[in-house]
Amino acid sequence: MKFAHMSDCHVGSWRDPKMRELNIRAFSTTIDKSMSEKVDFILISGDLFNTAFPGYEGLKEVVLKLKKLHDRDIPVYIIQGSHEYSPTGKTILDVLENAGLCINAAKGEIVDGKLKLNFTIDKKTGAKIAGFIGRKGGIEKNYFEQLMKENLESEDGFKIFMFHSAITEYKPSDMSEMDSQPISLLPKNFSYYAGGHLHAVFENMEQDYGLVVYPGPLFPNSVKELEKLGCGGFYLVNYDGAKINANYIPVELCKVRSFKIDCNNKTPSEASEEIISHLSAEDFNNAIVILRFFGTLKSGSPVDIPYNDIIKLCYEHGALVVMKHTLNLSGAELEQISTIGQTLEEIESSVVKEHAGQISMTGYDPEKEIRLTHALIETLNLEKEEGETNSEFEKRILNETKMLLDY
Amino acid sequence: MSEILGQIISGSFDKITLRQKANVFLEIGELLVADTDRGKIIFQIYDLLYGSQLSQQNLELVSGLQLEENSNLELMDPELRSYVLASLKPLILIDQFGIKLCKTMPKFFSQVRALQPDDLAFLTKPKHPLFLGNIRSGSKELHIPIYLNSQEVFSHHVLIPAQTGRGKSNLAMCMMLNNLSEPTAGILVLDPHDEYYGRNRAGLKDHPFKENVVYYTSKKPPVGARTLKINITMLQPMHFQGVINWSEAQQEALYGFYRRYNKDWIEHILADDEFEGFQEGTLAVLKRRMISILDIDSTSSGLISHGLFDVHAGESTINDIISALEEKKIVVVDTSNISANGELLIGSLLGTEILHKYQYYKATGELAKKPVVSIILEEAVRVLGVDALAQGINIFSTIAREGRKFKVGLVAITQLPSMIPREILANIGTKIILGLEMAPERRAIIESAAQDLSEYDKNIASLDKGEAIVTSNFTKFAIPIKIPDYNSLLQEMQNKAIREKYASTESFAGMKLK
Repeated sequence: MKFAHMSDCHVGSWRDPKMRELNIRAFSTTIDKSMSEKVDFILISGDLFNTAFPGYEGLKEVVLKLKKLHDRDIPVYIIQGSHEYSPTGKTILDVLENAGLCINAAKGEIVDGKLKLNFTIDKKTGAKIAGFIGRKGGIEKNYFEQLMKENLESEDGFKIFMFHSAITEYKPSDMSEMDSQPISLLPKNFSYYAGGHLHAVFENMEQDYGLVVYPGPLFPNSVKELEKLGCGGFYLVNYDGAKINANYIPVELCKVRSFKIDCNNKTPSEASEEIISHLSAEDFNNAIVILRFFGTLKSGSPVDIPYNDIIKLCYEHGALVVMKHTLNLSGAELEQISTIGQTLEEIESSVVKEHAGQISMTGYDPEKEIRLTHALIETLNLEKEEGETNSEFEKRILNETKMLLDY
Repeated sequence: MSEILGQIISGSFDKITLRQKANVFLEIGELLVADTDRGKIIFQIYDLLYGSQLSQQNLELVSGLQLEENSNLELMDPELRSYVLASLKPLILIDQFGIKLCKTMPKFFSQVRALQPDDLAFLTKPKHPLFLGNIRSGSKELHIPIYLNSQEVFSHHVLIPAQTGRGKSNLAMCMMLNNLSEPTAGILVLDPHDEYYGRNRAGLKDHPFKENVVYYTSKKPPVGARTLKINITMLQPMHFQGVINWSEAQQEALYGFYRRYNKDWIEHILADDEFEGFQEGTLAVLKRRMISILDIDSTSSGLISHGLFDVHAGESTINDIISALEEKKIVVVDTSNISANGELLIGSLLGTEILHKYQYYKATGELAKKPVVSIILEEAVRVLGVDALAQGINIFSTIAREGRKFKVGLVAITQLPSMIPREILANIGTKIILGLEMAPERRAIIESAAQDLSEYDKNIASLDKGEAIVTSNFTKFAIPIKIPDYNSLLQEMQNKAIREKYASTESFAGMKLK
């Protein structure tokens, strides 16, 4: 059998229209490549979309591609990721599944208070797929602790476990702050563990388990990821009945060029002259250009640097998209604010943890408070749906919030 | 009014002689009180001996008649003529102003009574309480809990000296159970016998707040436990100090590789890379020793790890452990399945990184916001003993000397305190002394105690399982305590706990359920 394993597409995540388009193109390219490889099925281990209710453009392209796969009888197995969660359970993934465009593998039932997962069997290959969702703040840990494992571990055949959690033992050192679960929470004896949520490429044959694979994001989801990863990718996996062969396939749509501009002890004009003379010699050839300004200016303030001129120069030299980063730049009189993370999730997680337990509430210990806080952030982050009136939107948010607080 | 137990009849300041009242049975270590005009003086018995109005010769004669001739000869007024004498040492004086070290003597012929709970009303629960046990008077446990300030105690180090079977591990377990109930410090346990988590018996995993226990093991982690994996890129040459005896050439080669290859230095050593300036033989020995201690094979298809030092996983393990400690959790690292050198290497790595992190916090002004971190070291002589230190300083001796400036402390457990250098013993602020049979061991502790324990030899020798004496820079006197059995403490905690788990587990929101 042959299948493609991708994760963390985050369609709709970028604000910049060109980046958003690249993001969508990464998904399209990956699907096209999978079809050309004649895969038997596709696994998407969570966060196909960046929210439970994605915007039109991204949704349209995804649906078109899923329809093509459907027409070629290539099933797509999905699980809900941390960005796709909705307290009501109503998400776009349900809509897509009901339309027959994908199959949600995170299925089960409650037996004596425990969660029993049921296998979804791929008709063509007989592969048995069980899935588990991901939640923000690592809340799925409680689900794992209630998971019945005997039925999963004793099942015969080629088994795939899809999950959307970082595994503690596999986190790279620069992601050590990330919420994660130890591998001991996962059921053993699966042939393939299709991971998601961890934005890093990783594979390991784990004793007592099987091959654990993280394909990383399909398209970098932040400036930091653009610099670190350059591009996204997915895995093509072959199983010949005896051995699994998993190959990482990068999806490189364009190059990423990153420039660090040291503004320490320089005036705004000195700093800009220096970078302009450097950039004038470049030919970006449709690359994504990242300009990182850092340091403390000798005089003036960061706003005195003519960013527009610098960005315009980059476009004139063939840049596809230009992004500037000035968080670590300060003026002579401004205090430096230390960052506690580089991505929104990292900052969010750090702040929530730091302030947990400050207010004593009956029935709430810090851990419960952290879980509730993350769940409330998820809910209050929901966007108004197309066609929804303001009062309907407000009522929906209030109802979902009340549900959380009533627990 | 409390029962009168005896009367002071003679002696000197630190050796007051008390005559025991008839039908009273005083014990070594018992606490007594003399009420004086200046306040209450609390004494402790450190010796018991017989007294008699009859001369020794006559006593022997009477005894001989009773034993050898079955004589029914009896002494007249036996309770008046023969009695028990107790040697007392004054501990503290409690007056209207508070408590102070005792520098006076009670009146001649003062009567002495048993200690009552009210006498110790001055003992309060500090802000960051570390519960050690209940006050003990001889073998009698009084239900008066003893709390010390955990921030002070942990940061100034603790020594738990005791022979086998006296309850060292039980004490460590009780300290951790209490920290789970009232977190005041982050505690790292290097557990060479895998006894604290409770895989096959009651342990930390059974505490109501078990989510604050993080358990690392390399052998079949139970559900929820973390697999102990440390990526080789996390290791630096300094972590091997005190673990392996390198020759000078080998040491230079190690640092040479590190300077050139940075985090990939071990990979290059194992790959047989040449390095100008170093002999092949030196590099070969380096490689061989690395393979042995790290349990990694170098093959044609790359490095293959067989043990906990990994080439793929475990990059965030150290950071995860430090983060957990900063959240005042208890981190248990099971080293029972690891070679002796491997165990030392992990300890060295963790100790170094924790100390460095806290040194950084001090430099950046963040230290005040961080909790104290304490490292529990079983068989502490392996790293703090004279023989170990003769091979060079290691991170634990550094922590013992300097750790308190950075809120990093040790809890050193050992049967052989005499093997620990005096200067290290002197740096340990609290000693919780359990039973020590061997005289040299008792002497080592007595000589380094925070209080004058010169008369405590018999007291320490007679400590039963679970009985201890706490001598600390943070107590006014050496406090005799009874340490609870951790099983009953755990049971008590389980009974008291009122927990409400966040109910999302009941609905498994997000999963498609039938």
